[in-house]
Amino acid sequence: MEGNRIRYIVKVCQGTGCIAGGSDKVFASLKEEIERNGLKAQVEVKFTGCHGFCQQGPIVDVDPEGTFYTRVRAEDAPEIVASHLREGRPVERLFYRDPLTGRAIARYQEVPFYAGQQRLILRRCGHINPEDINEFLATGGYEALRKALLEMTPEQVIAEVKRSGLRGRGGAGFPTGQKWEFCRASPGPVKFVICNADEGDPGAFMDRSILEADPHSVIEGLTICGYAIGASRGFFYARAEYPLAVKRLRIGLQRARERGFLGEKILGSGFSFDIEIREGAGAFVCGEETALMASIEGRRGMPRPRPPFPAQKGLWGKPTNINNVKTLASVPLIIHHGADWYSSIGTEKGRGTLVFALTGKIANSGLVEVPLGTPLHHIIYDIGGGVMGNRRIKAVQTGGPSGGCLPAHLINLPVEYETLAQAGSIVGSGGMVIMDEDTCIVDIARFFITFTQKESCGKCVPCRVGTRQMLGMLEAISRGESVDLDYLEKMARNVQLTSLCGLGQTAPNPVLTTLKYFPEEFREHIEKKHCRAAVCKGLVKAPCHHLCPAGVEAYRYVRLCGQGKFTEALLVNREKIPFPAVLGRVCVHFCETRCTRGKLEEPIAIRALKKVAADHYPPEEAFRGKRLPPSGKRVAVVGAGPAGLTCAYYLAKLGHQVTVFEALPLPGGMMRVGIPEYRLPRDVLDKEIEYILHAGVELRTNSRVDSPEQLLQQGYHAVFLSLGAHRGMRLGLEGEDGLVKEAVAFLREVNLGQKVAVGEKVAVIGGGNAAIDAARTARRLGAKEITLLYRRTQAEMPALPEEVEEALKEGIKLVVLVAPLRVGRENGRLNLVCQHMKLGAFDKSGRRRPEPVADSEFSLQFDTVVAAIGQAPDLPKSLGLATESGGTMKVDPRTLATSRPGVFAGGDCVLGPASVIEAIAQGRQAASAIDRHLGGTGDIEEQLLPTEVGATPAFPVDEGEKYRPPMSTLPAEGRANFEETELGYSPSQAVEEAHRCLNCDLEKR
Amino acid sequence: MADTITLNIDGKEVQGRPGMTVLQVAQAAGVYIPTLCYHPLLEPYGGCRMCIVEIEKMRGLPPACTTPAANGMVVKTYTPQLQELRRAVLEMVLSEHPHGCLTCERRERCQPGDVCLRNVAVTERCVLCPKNYRCELQVVADYIGMVGHEIKLAYSYRGLPLETMDPFLSRDYNLCILCGRCVRVCQEVRVNGCLAFTYRGSQALVGTAFGRPHTESGCEFCGACVDICPVGTHMEKGTLWGGFGDRSVTTTCPYCGTGCQLKLEVKGQNILRVRPDPDAWNQGQGCVKGRFGIREFVHHPERLTTPLIKKDGRFEPASWEEALDLVARKFSSYKPDEMAVFCAGKCTNEDNYVMQKFARAVLKTNNIDHCARLCHAPTIPGLLQTFGSGAMTNPINDLANSELIFVIGANTTFAHPVIGMKVKQATRQGKKLIVANPREIELVRFADVWLRLNPSSDVALLMGMARAIVEAGLEDREFIAQRCENYEAFRESLDRFDHAFVEKTTGIPWETVDQAARLYAQTRPAAILYAMGITQSTHGTDNVTAVANLAMLTGNVGKPGAGVDPLRGHNNVQGSCDMGGLPEYFPGYQRVDNPEMRKKFEAAWGTDLPPTPGLTLSEIVHAAYTRELKALYLMGENIALSEPCVTMCQGAMEELEFLVVQDLFLSETAKLAQVVLPACSFAEKDGTYTNTERRVQRVRKAIDPVGDSRPDWWIVCQIARRLRGKGFDYEHPSQIMAETARLVPQYGGISYARLDSGGLQWPCPTPDHPGTPILHTQTFTRGKGHFLPLEYRPPAELPDKAYPLILTTERSIYQFHTGTLSRRVKGLNDLHGEEWVEMNPRDAQGLGIATGDVVRVTSRRGEVEALALVTEASPPGVVAMTFHFVESPTNVLTNPAVDPVAKIPEFKFCAIRVEKVDGKREVHPKGVEAVTR
Repeated sequence: MEGNRIRYIVKVCQGTGCIAGGSDKVFASLKEEIERNGLKAQVEVKFTGCHGFCQQGPIVDVDPEGTFYTRVRAEDAPEIVASHLREGRPVERLFYRDPLTGRAIARYQEVPFYAGQQRLILRRCGHINPEDINEFLATGGYEALRKALLEMTPEQVIAEVKRSGLRGRGGAGFPTGQKWEFCRASPGPVKFVICNADEGDPGAFMDRSILEADPHSVIEGLTICGYAIGASRGFFYARAEYPLAVKRLRIGLQRARERGFLGEKILGSGFSFDIEIREGAGAFVCGEETALMASIEGRRGMPRPRPPFPAQKGLWGKPTNINNVKTLASVPLIIHHGADWYSSIGTEKGRGTLVFALTGKIANSGLVEVPLGTPLHHIIYDIGGGVMGNRRIKAVQTGGPSGGCLPAHLINLPVEYETLAQAGSIVGSGGMVIMDEDTCIVDIARFFITFTQKESCGKCVPCRVGTRQMLGMLEAISRGESVDLDYLEKMARNVQLTSLCGLGQTAPNPVLTTLKYFPEEFREHIEKKHCRAAVCKGLVKAPCHHLCPAGVEAYRYVRLCGQGKFTEALLVNREKIPFPAVLGRVCVHFCETRCTRGKLEEPIAIRALKKVAADHYPPEEAFRGKRLPPSGKRVAVVGAGPAGLTCAYYLAKLGHQVTVFEALPLPGGMMRVGIPEYRLPRDVLDKEIEYILHAGVELRTNSRVDSPEQLLQQGYHAVFLSLGAHRGMRLGLEGEDGLVKEAVAFLREVNLGQKVAVGEKVAVIGGGNAAIDAARTARRLGAKEITLLYRRTQAEMPALPEEVEEALKEGIKLVVLVAPLRVGRENGRLNLVCQHMKLGAFDKSGRRRPEPVADSEFSLQFDTVVAAIGQAPDLPKSLGLATESGGTMKVDPRTLATSRPGVFAGGDCVLGPASVIEAIAQGRQAASAIDRHLGGTGDIEEQLLPTEVGATPAFPVDEGEKYRPPMSTLPAEGRANFEETELGYSPSQAVEEAHRCLNCDLEKR
Repeated sequence: MADTITLNIDGKEVQGRPGMTVLQVAQAAGVYIPTLCYHPLLEPYGGCRMCIVEIEKMRGLPPACTTPAANGMVVKTYTPQLQELRRAVLEMVLSEHPHGCLTCERRERCQPGDVCLRNVAVTERCVLCPKNYRCELQVVADYIGMVGHEIKLAYSYRGLPLETMDPFLSRDYNLCILCGRCVRVCQEVRVNGCLAFTYRGSQALVGTAFGRPHTESGCEFCGACVDICPVGTHMEKGTLWGGFGDRSVTTTCPYCGTGCQLKLEVKGQNILRVRPDPDAWNQGQGCVKGRFGIREFVHHPERLTTPLIKKDGRFEPASWEEALDLVARKFSSYKPDEMAVFCAGKCTNEDNYVMQKFARAVLKTNNIDHCARLCHAPTIPGLLQTFGSGAMTNPINDLANSELIFVIGANTTFAHPVIGMKVKQATRQGKKLIVANPREIELVRFADVWLRLNPSSDVALLMGMARAIVEAGLEDREFIAQRCENYEAFRESLDRFDHAFVEKTTGIPWETVDQAARLYAQTRPAAILYAMGITQSTHGTDNVTAVANLAMLTGNVGKPGAGVDPLRGHNNVQGSCDMGGLPEYFPGYQRVDNPEMRKKFEAAWGTDLPPTPGLTLSEIVHAAYTRELKALYLMGENIALSEPCVTMCQGAMEELEFLVVQDLFLSETAKLAQVVLPACSFAEKDGTYTNTERRVQRVRKAIDPVGDSRPDWWIVCQIARRLRGKGFDYEHPSQIMAETARLVPQYGGISYARLDSGGLQWPCPTPDHPGTPILHTQTFTRGKGHFLPLEYRPPAELPDKAYPLILTTERSIYQFHTGTLSRRVKGLNDLHGEEWVEMNPRDAQGLGIATGDVVRVTSRRGEVEALALVTEASPPGVVAMTFHFVESPTNVLTNPAVDPVAKIPEFKFCAIRVEKVDGKREVHPKGVEAVTR
């Protein structure tokens, strides 16, 4: 009868992860719902072990078609039953969604996370009921044992395992067959075999999942191992923290005994064997085999030196073989399918597959099984879906706390024992932690050493003391204290060389690899007291403040905004910068990149809040601040850009007589000639410059200075050169001269009010902010069709994402993965020959390098082609000062002093093209240094807002996800003129937005 | 060659044996490799990483201490890389150890008390550490060249409080370098496990479980941790700051019969500290009494410093002349039968020899006995009848060769701690252990089978086991046929011990008896240890015989690892028996009623000797009570506490007309004397002791006699000379030993000259004989082993309505015998300073008694009060007490009924009742854990 045929099998994952997510309730309510709908006869509900994709759990599979539901909750049961099981319409909202594309994927086998894997060890995980031996048997279970016991001698089993090339999956990668052979050859009637299931790495859970999802495969492997070696007793050493794994093992052992796969004369052969479970109390060191044996014997888990090896003298002094869960789970495969089949997988030096627990800042975290030799990037991008939140990968830690921290540029590395070892890491037991830019490398080294120094058993000196000493040094670095990095490295090497067991010998790996691959980040902490990830608590008050080059205390003004105290908020800005209104519009807002709120949903709109505050101009007297009596010293500032004007402003307030020389007719530098007016209205800029001049700064426009020497001769006591970077970089194309405009020049002409004709079709080459500015300016100059050409993908564009978005709104076409080859004039138009690009291997920046696609040339016709691929300082030869190779000026990084005493330099001419806020920061630094040079204290700090006028923080209520209020802009269609596009927040929006602030500065430290 | 291997160490060819580690080969060849965690007694550890070496064809830098030496190895112990790494590791060690002085250039010139101008906390300096100049860390630091070396690592002082609350031990874990030696010696050698590693990672340290005080953590205060600590973490209290001795004297411990060799560190006339001799057979191990219980009694202010004569009931100091003249005058006024002497298991062989010679040759009486009567009297007839020699058959260290050890009637870990330690070590090696004891003694925890027999049912148990063995056909037929006689009669006597009878008598299910019997018979070689639980009984001789029968039945005699080992109580009770301190024997167990023997001694001593055996100790006491005996000369015995039914014994002493007591202190017995003669302690005289394993060992004079005290042999000689005795003009005890050697065949080859290079185990008949570690190897001393049929006899006094409980006497590890010496040591009193009446909760509940209650224990002979200790260690119906405490003289209660052959009283069994007395004391459970278990 139709009604009684099983039509669907609903499989609910019951791994630890899914149970924690409530899968047992899902299971119960699905059952109940199916019964209520009278589908009991047609639908079978059962549970499985871990799928290894716990992040998406609870997971429900519907067979036969393999519908893959993720994040199922008990409340979803009625819909699944009603829609899918009764009416045959799967519930799309529960499908897996690709984190990159957002596409819903219905079928298990189509999910990229699974599609990219080769699941051998994990082949049954999530597909069978781990507590039902029949399901195991139905999938070829115990066939290998049967074959080994009845058709093979122990020697043949060992030979087969040897031939397969299987190596220990517990970390060291010792050839398994050889290990077995040693133990078999050891004299003595009593031998033991042990399965090491003491998985202790932070973030690693593959052994647990295998035991939870497919315990019999490990039991089968251990029994075959016992047969091969000649042991009659086996042990599972599992952590007591793995109660479910232990329970399923226990059930598995019981069933295996009942069916005669364990016990006396197994399967009628002469071989008798049984297994006991020993639960460990969770000491990391007990993963080390000699410590593990001590623990089984009931002693303190402390390793002992080898020789004698466990194969000679192991548990209770008897020859003993220890293998990891994954190693043993691979054994039945080898025996069943043969060594030839197995050794065809993987590489020459590493056969078979590895299982990794992929965790960290990765879109798809979970268990991943791939053949040895698979490149890291395949695991991270194709399977893992890349870094969460579209951030950039910084490093990968393989092998847990004993492994190493590999930088992004090693992401092409094939994962193998030898390659990882060469890079300073290990395969280890298979942890793989992905780190993005929010990770501080010092902090990561500190974290892993904290773990190992806590878990050291305390037996040998280097491990016990050395790890703690290293920890002490890393903690000092994270506080910005001075530490001799060479000494730290030497210490790490000594610990590596002299420690007794693997724990101590590998504990320094995280330190050594981070020192090797990220030395500058260590030095930054020590020399600049700067943690670029804004993580190290000893240095960072709040990430927004820490990342601001000028040191604006963003958390303070955000908090004031939250109270509607916009004037006070502005004063907080004014304490550090003279251009709050400019920055409120154009700042690249480093502050927002590490905003803690951004790790939840979106960072606080700090820039937008600044704009709201800055537009509430109070009377000037309110923020006059510091004003020292005249010093009698004269200072010349060359260049009236943000760096020069900032420097002049602070020097004037310190009582010096400052003259600013500007070659162009108007002051403001790039703020005026680079940034288009629709982003920065000129009255806003003028007002802030005016205020600087009011502070006592003399401005001379149209005054080009070619030599600071002249100024010194004229009686200036010091000179500050802030010449900017006004020369556009050339594409280096055939026929480029005269045909391709440089974006800097183009924008300068437009911004200085010159008439510029662009024609109808404009191409802008580049992906940075200048490219977007050029494109959007061209739109406002009347171009009909504007194309942005970029050689990588949108994800890699350096421009601010919101700018790119606005450009796209304005109808600007973005063509990615193309690079220009030649340009020529044809039929009155410019003919731009391009070629397609593809992303190749990863480069040092952690981005994939664009590579040309062969024979993919194509031509495009334009009226104007603008190149926006970079700019550089345009320094006159007559300066007579030392420069760097990139054409920037050479200065002392602390004082910004040039090679000529009395002459200082800062801004883009030192940094190369950078941002307004970085230029301001340099202006501040220069002002302080020049004041010291002139005999002052160099103290430019001022307090405009009494601290007691601080604001009570508004702590965000836990009301779920909360996003920024959307930014209102001019309608895209109406953007024909240079009117300011972004309209900004209303005061009430600003208050609301500021309330999202998590008040990081108040965190207890 | 298979038994030597050749290695190349630092370019030199050196030899070693297979099984040695690289470090051992190097050390044997005189190559120094620095180590901090290595110790020859301990299993290889590899923790300090100081001994790393380079070995060709080996990966990495293996530690020499754990790497097995192999033929052809090429080892480098000193290379720039090794020194560099050792220095790096040592820097880490020093980063946790106050090291100001270790790296200081002017250390050599710095004196304690100097103000240190360097940036070092004043309290953290080597010059202020009691271990300064004895510190192994200093040696290693100097070898590696730390002087003048700047340590860059952050120094972290743990800031832990000093642990000084225990008796004897003080610990400063701020100095600990985590070498783990103390933990390992406590676990591997002492098999105690009081110390362990605590926590992990950088918090790892040494300590007790849950940080509890040592008194509550099973510590035995053996001091092994102190002796093995390479730095100043574990130190002994008392003389912590006493500096160093100016000489070290090797001697023999004066407490129990184990005979541990000790080194007395002496400064001037003061014993600073006592350490077990690491080079002697006891491998540097001792017990709490030997280690910490000597200095205080030797230098105790209550030591007798002058002869005392009782005048009008009060003692008055007298000169030696006066006292000796008085004694001689008095002795000359009695008939030989009216006089008796007691020699002593505490005195040297020489003292005892002179004493018995004095009794026989001068007083003309064989009324001579001593405390052996109260402990191992049955061993002598029991083993003489069966084996022909009444002593331990195998040496102590031979226990390491035993596959099984059967401990019956002995609480070895308390009474003979170092032998107990060997038993525990054997179990740690996986050897089997059977314990037969009504009480749950410490060894029960280590036992494979515990036979909790009813008190005094030993014959039934042992014969039951023999029956089980015969029934299972596990007897050693070949051994029985070739080496023994009278087997059939013995086998027939087994009929009387059917399963039901054995079960009923012993209280143990037959299955368990059978299991133990099979285990004993099948696990060979097997040794039997026994002590007072076997002997102190009205059928003690039967008990001993039953043990001997069992050993012969399984062929466990005359082989390494086998044997019957009576554990003798006092330090020299074996020797005092050997020396003829017995009424029926001349020295060397030569009977006084054997005319040939008598002739030999008459010739040697130049006088006629009494031909009949004299009175035994109990008989002497009885004769005094009935005034048949009038004068008694007592050397180093305290029978007023040690005799059963001491009330009667004290009364007997009071009946005497003349009692002379010769002792270190004014003991309970001495108080009853007319003349008290001050003897000097073992530390103040030369001599020899013979320990329980028949090992004759030297006692060496370390300090001058305290006050006017004199060696016992000298005093006896003085009296003998006054009584015109001949042959009492010895100038040095070595002359006494020479005379002994001439007269006692077993001692024939023993001389002080030979003993200087270590002890000798008798029989050692000739000067070139190496001594005899194992007896009866070829034939039994008496020829054939003689099986003796046995019958079960119940104890003399059974519980009844009025006295429903059984009292058995026990020992504490912290006290010795009647406490004459050990009660003078404060720390020992702190650990166990008063009597506990240990009783089962079931009995206690019925009587409304809780731990800490004052209870009155009453037998037909008297009553004592003490504190109750309710414990499962005592089986229901059985109460245990020691007899160490004069305040609660347990022997007031015990039954003076004696074994018909050996005349030993029944200390282990008498009927009592217990009742609660008003009053409860706050219980200080210091060491109680150790006391009960």
